[in-house]
Order: sequence, then structure tokens, then C-alpha cells
Amino acid sequence: MRDSFADFHPFNNFLYFALVIGFSLALNHPLAQGIALVCAMVYVISIDGKKSVLFLLKYCLPMVLLTAFINPAFNHEGTTILLYFSNGNPLTLESVLYGFSSGAMLVTLLLWFASFNRVMTSDKFIYLFGKVIPALSLVLSMSLRFVPKFKSQMATVTEAQRSIGRDVSSGSLWSRTKTAITIFSIMITWALENAIETADSMKSRGYGLKGRTAFSIYRFDERDKYTLTWFSFCGLFLLSGSLLSAFGFRYFPNVRYAALDMTTIPFYLVYFALCITPVVLNLKEERKWKTLVSKM
Amino acid sequence: MKRILSLILTFVLLLSFTACSGNFAQVDLKEPIALADDGIVKRDVFEKIKNENAIATFTGESGEMEYEWTIFGSDLKDTKDVNLSITLEKTEKGIKIKFSETEDFGFPALLSVHLNEKWKVDSATAYDGKDTVYSVSITGSKTSILNISVNKIVTECEILPDNEIQTENTPSTESSSNDNKQDNSETNKTDDYLSGVKDSDDRIYSDGQNKGKDKYETDPVPEGKPLPVEPEDQEVDKKKTYTCTFSIECSTILNNLKDLDPDKRELVPSNGVILAPTKVTFYEGESVFDVLQRVCKEKGIHMESSWTPIYNSAYIEGIHNLYEFDCGELSGWMYRVNGWYPNYGCSRYQLVDGEKVEFRYTCDLGKDVGCEWMAGS
Repeated sequence: MRDSFADFHPFNNFLYFALVIGFSLALNHPLAQGIALVCAMVYVISIDGKKSVLFLLKYCLPMVLLTAFINPAFNHEGTTILLYFSNGNPLTLESVLYGFSSGAMLVTLLLWFASFNRVMTSDKFIYLFGKVIPALSLVLSMSLRFVPKFKSQMATVTEAQRSIGRDVSSGSLWSRTKTAITIFSIMITWALENAIETADSMKSRGYGLKGRTAFSIYRFDERDKYTLTWFSFCGLFLLSGSLLSAFGFRYFPNVRYAALDMTTIPFYLVYFALCITPVVLNLKEERKWKTLVSKM
Repeated sequence: MKRILSLILTFVLLLSFTACSGNFAQVDLKEPIALADDGIVKRDVFEKIKNENAIATFTGESGEMEYEWTIFGSDLKDTKDVNLSITLEKTEKGIKIKFSETEDFGFPALLSVHLNEKWKVDSATAYDGKDTVYSVSITGSKTSILNISVNKIVTECEILPDNEIQTENTPSTESSSNDNKQDNSETNKTDDYLSGVKDSDDRIYSDGQNKGKDKYETDPVPEGKPLPVEPEDQEVDKKKTYTCTFSIECSTILNNLKDLDPDKRELVPSNGVILAPTKVTFYEGESVFDVLQRVCKEKGIHMESSWTPIYNSAYIEGIHNLYEFDCGELSGWMYRVNGWYPNYGCSRYQLVDGEKVEFRYTCDLGKDVGCEWMAGS
């Protein structure tokens, strides 16, 4: 699916991610976590397709299970004792539940950042923060861009080296190691040089100087106003909800939570609506496009 | 359309704000209530405490002394008007308490009497003429606090310090292991830094001549106290069984409820006793830690410990989900054997027959449970 949420004003994009990432971190009620996890999954799948499903199954599921498994090994607090470890410390139900909860939180954040990287491209980031914090935003966007750039350059260098007979995939262990080290050394040199070049290039264009303008084609139009209003409403509403502990949940020493009733359910509905907004916008856009195509 | 939408949103917002019942069932701690002159607390006050599942404290004064009632909403069933005032009177050896109420309260309540002096004893007992009516737990750092769990009312009683417990230099010799004593010179092997006298119960006691720390950072053990035994040298002989008295209590928390982590309030027993003094069977060569671990397992009491290599002992992090630092930054668990807080870990204290082991929660680095050396005084 085409991600039309990315076509919205960068400020809205950023605000959305700031809100959902913030609330995913702050809320530990399983229902709120479930909402965030499902929405993050749906969004990533809708913009990345099949590749992300594989990623979810291959990395995210084991990660949840691993944290659920590791946490009780170090954390023995909780009133419901299930069994005892060999060193005499108890295995408690609460620590297992907490493990699942933190695993789910980890995966949710991972997924939010996956879509964040797709939506908040470096030009949007620079557009938003280039004036306020020029040096930091350049460093941030450079470092965010670094890993994918490094990977693609590495592929190029490996190919080139192979064509002159230095293949990392064949030969003795010693010669393979030697080739790999050579490639790595080339990469380091390239990375350092590239960073200097980028910095020099930005400097020569007067980046960060007063009065410098940046070319951008972002317009804050009507639909951006509505989405901004919607996001700010959700943000304020959920913030006050969490202050009123509508999402209250504690794992230790025993599980206690805020009752799910008419007064707390609206907060969950709003949270769900906030998290699912980009997917809804994308669907709406897709339907519009299809009707337009069919009319032609 | 958009106007309707915004109207609905505003409505939802207002509804949720005005009626949010998000607070989850946390035990509420009430501000201390000063007792009226007649001391009568009305039924509806108790009803309120019961319905809110709160913890309430009532304070009063008698003579020079202050006292305090701690009442748990979870303990209250049938409520009625209760006169909580008492009269305190100093006697030759102890304190005399006169209750104004004549009938039983119908619920247990904890009475804490703040003395003006420090009682240097391990425990005390309340006597009604000749019979024992309440057992008393002594806490308090500078001056003593007597904590009495009142579950029935007597017209008057006298609290006397228990003096029969000897904390002096005589190690317990009533050991029943005398008859099966062996020449077990291996386990009694001493290192150079240990100088001790061997007693009849196969345990080495300090003669007070040691200077400096041992290799596990232990300061010299006072004269007459058992020297630490390394757990890796100990062999447990399951054929020889002995008994000791074991208890776990946290009454200092009840004197410092405002410092307690609010999430832990519902865990605190209203009389401060997690495990009442119990006779426990153990095997020869077992340490206090071994016995604690087994007792907690048997009684289903939660306990977490971690092995600390530099002290060569287990460290008790929490019992009954009450952890170190849960009630202020000077809080944690300590253990006392026959009235002495050993200055080494509980894995290094080898038990002999008939000893009295107490695990007590401190909120003031040991000072409030009668341990002097910990805070460096």
C-alpha cells in the first residue's frame, strides 16, 4: 500500500510518532500495550508488506519469548509462587507476566521505529529541526542514514573486490579473513571520508548560518490542520487519562489494575484511534484513488 | 459533520474527566487522627476505614508518654463505637496499661507505646496479674516503642521486660548434642586470624582477642559469640536433628508506615508478625540461611536472596515481598540469634540446638531493632 500518511506535513508525522512512542513507553496496562502492538504491526505490514511479516515472526516473536524467559531468572518479586529455582529463589507469576509485558513493549517500540524510519526521511527531519538545532539534527540524520548507506556501500565494495579475485565466500579461512579485513578497512576509510565530505559540503553551502533558507515543498494545508487538531486532542486526552491513572496497572508485588468501565474505556478507544490513524488515512486515500481511476 | 464530531469528542472528554475511577485498589494510608478527650471513636469512622480498605492511626497521650493505635481496614468486620484511650503509668520495672474500653474491640489493633527511655532488652511481655496476655515487640531508635497486638481487652496489664534471655557471655550449654559429640577436628580447623575457644557444643566462640578484619570483611566478633563458619566447609549430617525457634517479623514498618512503598501496604501484617515463633527442626551443620530457606519454602513465605562472594554469605533481599529499601533508604532485613545480631552473613552462622533465631525488618539500619554495631555507634 502507498503510504499517504508520509505525504502529510512533517510536523504531523513527527508529532504522531512522538505521541505513540511516548505512550508505548509510559503505559504498561496490557490492553494499552496490546492496542499499540497491534496498530504498530498493522502499520508496518501495510507499508512494508510481506517482508515485515517475516521480520515479525523471525525476530519479534522470539524477542518477546526471550524477555519473558529471562526476566523471571533475575526478578523474584511477586506473591504468586509457581515453583523454586535450584538456588532457592522463587519463580513468580508476576515476574513472568512482567517479562511478557516488557517484551511486548520492546517489540512495539521496534516496530514504531521501523515505520518512523520509513516516514521521517532525513530531509523531513532536517526541515523540522535544521533551524532550531542545526548541528544536532545534521548529526542525527547522518547517523540515522549511516547504517543503510554503509550496508549498500559494503555490498558495492564486496562486489568490486570479488571481481579482482578477493572473494570472501571462498578460499581458506586465512585468506577469507584477510579479504574481510581488507574490505572492512576500506569501509572505515570510506565512512570517515564520507562524513568529512558531507560536513564540508554542508558547511560550504552555509548550513546553520543565519538567514539561510532550505528548499522544501511542504505545505501546511487544510488536512494538516485537522490532523494536527486530532493529534493534539489525543495527546492531551491520553496524558490526562494517564495522570488520572485510567491506564493504571501494577505488576509487583501482586497484579492490580484500574477497572475497565464506562469511565476508562473512552481512553482506550481514543488510544486505539490515535494509533490506527495513519492506516485509516492510507485506506481512505487508497479508496479515493480507486474511485478516481474507475471514473477515468 | 465535523462540528458534530468535535461535539461528541468534547462530550467524551468531559464525561471521562468528571467520572474517571481509574485509581486501582491501593491501600490508602490515612493521616494520623488525634483521639478526642474521651477517647471514643465512632462506629462510622471505622466503617469508613473498612469500606476504603485504608490503614488508620489514632494518637493519644497519657502522662509523659504518647501512644498510637494502628488499625487496618482489612481487619474490620463488625464495627461499633470503641473507646481507644488508655492510661499509661510507669512502674518499678515496667509500664502499666489501663484500658478505658471494657469490651473486646471485635477486631485486632496494634498499640504502639512510645516510651521516654531506651529499654535495652530483646523483648517484653504483658502480664495480667500472673498470666501472659500479650507479647510485645520492642522497636525504636533513640527511645523504645512497645508494639502490642491487642486482640482481647483486659482491664489492666503490666508490661515487663523479658530478662530471662541471656545475652551475656555464657554460650548456651544446654545443647543436647553433648551425648553424640565427636572428635570432629576437621570442621573446627581455625585460620590464623581466628582465635577462639572450643566449647562443648563443637562450636568455636570468640575470646575477644581478634584484631582487624577477616578475609570476608568481618570485624572482630565480640567475646563469647560464635565465630563465623564458612558454608563450603560445612557438612550437613542429616542423621542428627535438633530444633530451634524461628520467627520473622516487621513491626518497625508499622511505626514507619508513611515511608513504606504504597504498593506494599497491603502486604504488611497488621500485627507485624510474618512468622510467629515456631519450633523448627534442622540438621547438624546447617546455617541460619539453610533453615530460613527451608522454613520459608515449607510455610509458603516468599523469600529472595542473592549470594554475595565478598562476604561469603547469602544476602536476604526480601521476605514476604518486603524488600530492602521498601520502607526508607535505611531499611532491610536483619537476623538475631539469642539476642545478638551477628556481624556476619546468615550463611556463616552455624546453628546449635535450642537457639532462638529472629529475622526482623529494620527501618533505621538496625538501630530500631536493637542492633548497635551496624550504624557505627
